[in-house]
Amino acid sequence: MQNLIEARSLFKDFGTTRALRGVDLAVAAGESVAVMGPSGCGKTTLLHTLAGIELPGAGQVLLHRDGGAVDVAALNDRQRSELRRTAFGFVFQQGLLLPELTAGENVALPLLLIGRARADAEAEASRLLAALGIGDKAAARLGELSGGQQQRVAIARAQAVQPSVVFADEPTGALDSATSAEVMTALLASTVGAGRALIVVTHDAGVAARCDRTLHMRDGVIVETAVRGSAAAAGAAS
Amino acid sequence: MTVLTLARLFARRSGGDAATVLLPAVAFAVVTMCTTVVVGGVFAFFTLDGPNGTTYRFLALLALVLLVVPLVSLSGAAARLSARRRDTRLSSLRLLGASSALVSALTVLESTAVAFVGAAAGAAASLAALPLFGLLHFDGRPLGGAIWPPVWVFFAVVVTIVALSAISAAVGLRAVVLTPLGVRTRVVSPRARWIRALVVVLVLAAAVAATSSLDSFAQIGGLIAVIAVLLAAFAAVLGVLGVVGPLVLKGFGRRWLKRAERPAQLIAARGVLDDVKAAWRQVGSLAMVSFVAVFTGIGVAFTQTTGSNDPATRLLATDIRTGVVLTLVMSFAMVACAVGVNQAAAILDRRALYASLDRIGMPVDVMDAARRRAVMAPLLVVTIGSALAAALVLFPLTGYTLLLRPAGLAIIAACLACGIGLVRLGLAVTRPVLVRLVTAGVVDPT
Repeated sequence: MQNLIEARSLFKDFGTTRALRGVDLAVAAGESVAVMGPSGCGKTTLLHTLAGIELPGAGQVLLHRDGGAVDVAALNDRQRSELRRTAFGFVFQQGLLLPELTAGENVALPLLLIGRARADAEAEASRLLAALGIGDKAAARLGELSGGQQQRVAIARAQAVQPSVVFADEPTGALDSATSAEVMTALLASTVGAGRALIVVTHDAGVAARCDRTLHMRDGVIVETAVRGSAAAAGAAS
Repeated sequence: MTVLTLARLFARRSGGDAATVLLPAVAFAVVTMCTTVVVGGVFAFFTLDGPNGTTYRFLALLALVLLVVPLVSLSGAAARLSARRRDTRLSSLRLLGASSALVSALTVLESTAVAFVGAAAGAAASLAALPLFGLLHFDGRPLGGAIWPPVWVFFAVVVTIVALSAISAAVGLRAVVLTPLGVRTRVVSPRARWIRALVVVLVLAAAVAATSSLDSFAQIGGLIAVIAVLLAAFAAVLGVLGVVGPLVLKGFGRRWLKRAERPAQLIAARGVLDDVKAAWRQVGSLAMVSFVAVFTGIGVAFTQTTGSNDPATRLLATDIRTGVVLTLVMSFAMVACAVGVNQAAAILDRRALYASLDRIGMPVDVMDAARRRAVMAPLLVVTIGSALAAALVLFPLTGYTLLLRPAGLAIIAACLACGIGLVRLGLAVTRPVLVRLVTAGVVDPT
């Protein structure tokens, strides 16, 4: 499979704290990767660095697109912001949707940001919500939706621009186990099922077990990689 | 003892929180200074005893009524922001088992301390401002020492503002005490109820009936009664505006929503509709001020055009215009402060959301444009709408004075434009808070 995003020898410091110590990672199209580890191990920093939210102190983040590889770390702030708008999707623990907008408008927002006409964007939003089983909630306010439904809205928003890679930071962290399983199913179907790469930071072993690979981090290093269906750990990631 | 120890710990500054201490403190200072100056002005006007003495007193009270709304609004905004700064930490304390009484005591103590520092600074600033206002000429002479209110006024203003802040903080943080895990889960926006239309009609009818029967009131209670009735009618109209205004903004909000094509337009329109009363509270005080400014501006210009030879009348006309300009400037200054304070509070309220919007690639300019539009669009509707309404009410005179004495109206128009610019400045001041917060939001060393 073709790699969509690659990290090469990533280092990242916050003051005197070294959050990443030479992380290497490649995620292919249609692949899902879970990142686990204790608090402070660097998993969220890894996600942020891959997504261009943080810049690495050293190393490269390569996004492979039709026109060739783009070094995310070499882009300026505006370019990285544009990349996040057009190539990446995000799902956060609490959804973090705009409470004054309807569900449909929240999903349409990324499309409006890239200049799509509103009617067009809202039609696409309705289609995405319907695909996630909440098509009838497009006009609902967020306060009228359950936690699981709000996460589905967030997942729909993350798909709006048809990104290459979707980053999810504890996407089921605020949900009960049954809803968590449903949301994970929706997330996998709409990302991996559509040929996108999915990178999930999670503390939930159940969530990680549904991904193709699970990376275990400790002190800024990937110490173990588990492949689904394989009982053997692959040791330190290469 | 525990309260004091915790209060000392909480008082330690933490990076982005500086604005949340500074802004309310500055706002409390502005409120104190404005209140002291306005009260001083009223005292000064009550010393004017020429042929227009009674009129001056009436006008002073009118200005006081007009300025009370923005003063209260600014004071409330400052108190809310001052209290909000502590929400998160207080929620944590509550979750750690701190009693409701401890949380309440900390909140009130800290907010009161900020209010006291601001109010004391405002009282000191008014000592410098009062001589400047004393240079203003009314009734043919400078106000001079007459603008200095008695010493007890300074203390009374400071104590009142600090007390109001303490009450507002206690009320505002009820949610933290009741539900420490409180999350913003608004289901439906607060509705501007149409049932109030009936109250509006009744109040307006009472006001019209009362002002139509001024002769009767004069016979019963003399001039004092007439002034009291006029002020009450004026206050009633202000109250009515408070009911009608949100409905008007709601109508505009729906139009903005329908036409919104860009993200900032959509978010701003939804933001106004989400809590139309809050949008009105922020700028509503300018409706009456703007109306009165244009109304009296045209009236004064017309009086000067007709060339009355009575020196007292000409003097009064000029003084009214000066008073109107003063009231306009002070109202806009307070609204600008309130907008700054409210916006800082709103940004802090939504810090996680703004950080997440940055992550999905929304430029800070778009976030800034959305909140700017959510304030400026209602402000323009209120200010320009009220000004046009006044011009329409006096339609024949408006055209006449525009042709023959445009300078008088130009001064009022310039004041309105400067005031709008001042509010825009109030918004601009809070942009760094947003930028800092978005930048800080992405720093997470885990």
